[in-house]
Amino acid sequence: MGLPERGGEASDRQRPSLLVDLTLTACLFALVAGMIALAQRWEAPIREAVAIDLSPRALPGYTLLSLSRGFAAYILSLAFTLVYGTIAAHSRRAEKIMIPLLDIGQGIPVLGFLPGLVLGMVALFPRTNVGLELACILMIFTGQVWNMVFSFYGSLRAVPEELKEVARIHRFGWWKTFKTVEVSGAVIGLVWNSMMSMAGGWFFLTVNEAFTLGDRDFRLPGVGSYMAVAIEKGDTSAMVWAIVAMTLMILAVDQLLWKPLVAWSQRFRLEEIGGSEPPRSWVLDLVRRSWFARRMRQARREVEEAAARPAAKLRAARPPVSATGGHALRVALLGALGLAAGTGAVLGASKLVFMLAAVTAGEWRLLAASLGATFLRTAGALMLGALWCVPAGILIGRSPKWSRRLQPVVQIVASFPAPMLFPIVTGVLLALKVPFSVIAAVLMLLGAQWYVLFNVLAGASAIPHDLEEASETYEVRGFARWRKLYLPSVFPYLVTGLITAAGGAWNASIVAETLTYKGQRLEAFGLGSMITRATQQANFPLLAAGVLTMSAALILLNRTVWRPLYRLAESRYALNR
Amino acid sequence: MSAALEPTPRPDAPIASANGVGKIYRDEAGRERVILRDVTFAVRKGETVAVLGPSGCGKSTLLRILIGLIPPTSGSVEQHGKPLTGIHPGAAVVFQNFALFPWLSVEENVRVGLNGRPMPLAEAEEKIAAAIERVGLTGVERAFPKELSGGMKQRVGIARALVGGPELLCMDEPFSALDVLTAEALRAEVYRLWSDGASGLSSILIITHLIEEAVYLGDRVVVMGANPGGIRQEIVNTLPHPRSYRHPEFLKMVEKIHDIVAGVHLPDEQAASTSFVGRGPCGPVRPVPAAPSSEILGLLEVLSDHGGERDLFELDSETAYEFGHTIAVVKAAEMLGFVDTPGDLVRITDLGREMVAATVPERKVLFRRRLLTLGIFAELVKFLATEPDAPRRGEEVRAFLSEKLPGQAIMDLFRTLVGWGRYGQLFDYDARADELGLFAGRETED
Repeated sequence: MGLPERGGEASDRQRPSLLVDLTLTACLFALVAGMIALAQRWEAPIREAVAIDLSPRALPGYTLLSLSRGFAAYILSLAFTLVYGTIAAHSRRAEKIMIPLLDIGQGIPVLGFLPGLVLGMVALFPRTNVGLELACILMIFTGQVWNMVFSFYGSLRAVPEELKEVARIHRFGWWKTFKTVEVSGAVIGLVWNSMMSMAGGWFFLTVNEAFTLGDRDFRLPGVGSYMAVAIEKGDTSAMVWAIVAMTLMILAVDQLLWKPLVAWSQRFRLEEIGGSEPPRSWVLDLVRRSWFARRMRQARREVEEAAARPAAKLRAARPPVSATGGHALRVALLGALGLAAGTGAVLGASKLVFMLAAVTAGEWRLLAASLGATFLRTAGALMLGALWCVPAGILIGRSPKWSRRLQPVVQIVASFPAPMLFPIVTGVLLALKVPFSVIAAVLMLLGAQWYVLFNVLAGASAIPHDLEEASETYEVRGFARWRKLYLPSVFPYLVTGLITAAGGAWNASIVAETLTYKGQRLEAFGLGSMITRATQQANFPLLAAGVLTMSAALILLNRTVWRPLYRLAESRYALNR
Repeated sequence: MSAALEPTPRPDAPIASANGVGKIYRDEAGRERVILRDVTFAVRKGETVAVLGPSGCGKSTLLRILIGLIPPTSGSVEQHGKPLTGIHPGAAVVFQNFALFPWLSVEENVRVGLNGRPMPLAEAEEKIAAAIERVGLTGVERAFPKELSGGMKQRVGIARALVGGPELLCMDEPFSALDVLTAEALRAEVYRLWSDGASGLSSILIITHLIEEAVYLGDRVVVMGANPGGIRQEIVNTLPHPRSYRHPEFLKMVEKIHDIVAGVHLPDEQAASTSFVGRGPCGPVRPVPAAPSSEILGLLEVLSDHGGERDLFELDSETAYEFGHTIAVVKAAEMLGFVDTPGDLVRITDLGREMVAATVPERKVLFRRRLLTLGIFAELVKFLATEPDAPRRGEEVRAFLSEKLPGQAIMDLFRTLVGWGRYGQLFDYDARADELGLFAGRETED
């Protein structure tokens, strides 16, 4: 799921053709198909599902396990971001492929790849839980990584040319350039996006830690699987306990990690922020004053001193690597990589075609109909979301006092994984006699609405004061002011928010359209529930067809609806022109 | 400079030189733009050189080519008589917008200047402290750039450049982002740093668009022109140091360079005012300078308020535009026949007076008539008139323009043409759709 502010940036700079997208998507699917095929060939041993203890005493341990998975995935995301972003920002040729690829990755329903991933990983490590753990971490990773890469890539592209020239004039090595020029400029965006990413990564936790594939049950001990089992058994008190544990974990991570990091990252700000209070963190203050920090500073100085000794600097005299030699090597390497990827793609694509041939015409028709149903559901969910988020966002955003008070609260609420709330919301709405096919839309909205709210809020607080004063002077009041000032001003932000929310809602349909509630299986007709059912029945051809359909629909919607809308918003309603 | 990095110098060879250097950029549409053409230029030991020119003449590009930041498209670059590979080992650069790392303290920023030069820590500290002291930054070592004023920031930039003891200090419009008083103070300090010899500085290359600055610092003033960028003339400045702005000899030198610059930028236009009634014959197809119609009108108002004529450089100092821009406005007004430029003077013509006296709708009619005397407008109207009812896509129009006027910055030209055409109610332009058509709301009376 993408961060609001960053989502459109790269896509705006690059306008890849539909052809590139389709080719890349095909390659991606081919890869997954290959992985599934690999998994099928390996005879996976029958495994006992881990028993989950539903007593509250077991929860702290489970929560810590889940947290460690989140962090492992985050470290992976960070490493991936640094490498991928750097390559994309430095090589014009690589950029042409890497950025559209990222755009697609951000949009496609990654949950659809879970079965293939799990089977592949379990096959790689047949005797232990390692494979399952890795699959779970990789799934969390796919929920985290996108906006981090976009942010980092965007920051690298935004490094002022003159700073790069300074680095060259003063002969920075690549590491020093990377550290001092590139990463330093990206820190603020990266920290902010890391925070969003961590939140996004939790979204599918209940599924990632416990899911069924055909007659096999894959389960890992964690707060997500605890919740899954509680839902399955209809144990309400266990559900509440899981929600409490999750909330505490999010709060703790926010206070102990993100708040200090945000406060620390302020030193990388380009300009002093006028007037407003800089972010602070009590934890950071504590750490800075601590004995440990003093020792660290001292140690660093010692290391620097050692490094500055002439003997250690012999490398300065080393002749530079011949530019042509390096180039040839790189071309050869890229060529080999391209060849390997190409071969894999061709093999996988043929596998995919073979697999899709098993899908009957009737199933395709059903898929098309379910696509329509989910489309209506997402559209409804987005409208519902806009309906309350636009006025609420504008009201909060117009009042500096309220936006300062509410923003951190909304942030915490938004980082709570919505699927954990599904059973409770469903219970309430079922009691009100709402049909489940409508409830599913509400569930989809539950996670997605925050993107709309955040963006509208940001937009409303960015309305210049002089426009407000002008409206006052010319007596543009009440509804007229909303129509003439507020709504047009937040429009670009609303579009960005809706784009992200739409992606989130489509992805969420996979978990929202099917729900086991108090032992009773609820299902709403839609593409999401089709994919879930195909997974549970281990019907791989149908699963592949479903995921393919959804990805194609998402890419098509992006190109035909969201991009043009985004461009319109940028050209007509942007306030900075 | 540490001895290890210095090449064996040929005593007579210049520190840095460019021989027949050219630079061509390709824009996104693949059109070529000539930035520099056939530039031969050198900086020798112990001299200060000022490169003077309007924006877009490639002077910053020349600096970057000279020190190896960007490669030339043609020609060769040498340092101490040898081909330059990589970055010039003895050069340091002070940038227009300071180019400090916002996340490094003043001290750490200055330390950047010592990067890649192995030396004991104590020695490095000493050099850094000395550089900081020399530019008067003592006391703010631990501050971050964002806490400093523009002048202080540029002092950090200078300290960073000086700390490594460069033989050639390159400055790319180093004072133009500062207010007048701060710029003046820093200019004097740079001069002092160079003249007292304590910093080990041998030569200075300064890029500027201010004639006074060039005369104040440069022993040689190199005047560059644009389209294509190149050196138009070199003037040896033998005024004794230290120079004073008020000294009659100084003023004389400024005057002399003014005349040269004016000759370079304002070669007398073929007076288009011979037939200012009616349509008149079309001139040749030439590019128009990037001057908005509102500024052309403003120029006419100013001239008419001052009895009809002004010295070009008085005008320039009053407008506070960048030097090249004033010239562009004057040149545009001259092309349209509203002013004459005998020598350094800008004189309003009868047509210009008529324009000033006219009402708003009359002005538009007058302006439109003048536009139609320009070859490029005549061509453009003809082009648009082939399908008078359908507006043309901007991309088509720009392709047409670049065919007529190759080597121009087409987007700028397009914008100016559209601006003038809109004012004269000759064109309709829909910015959202990027479509240009003939103005539809007017009776075709002229």
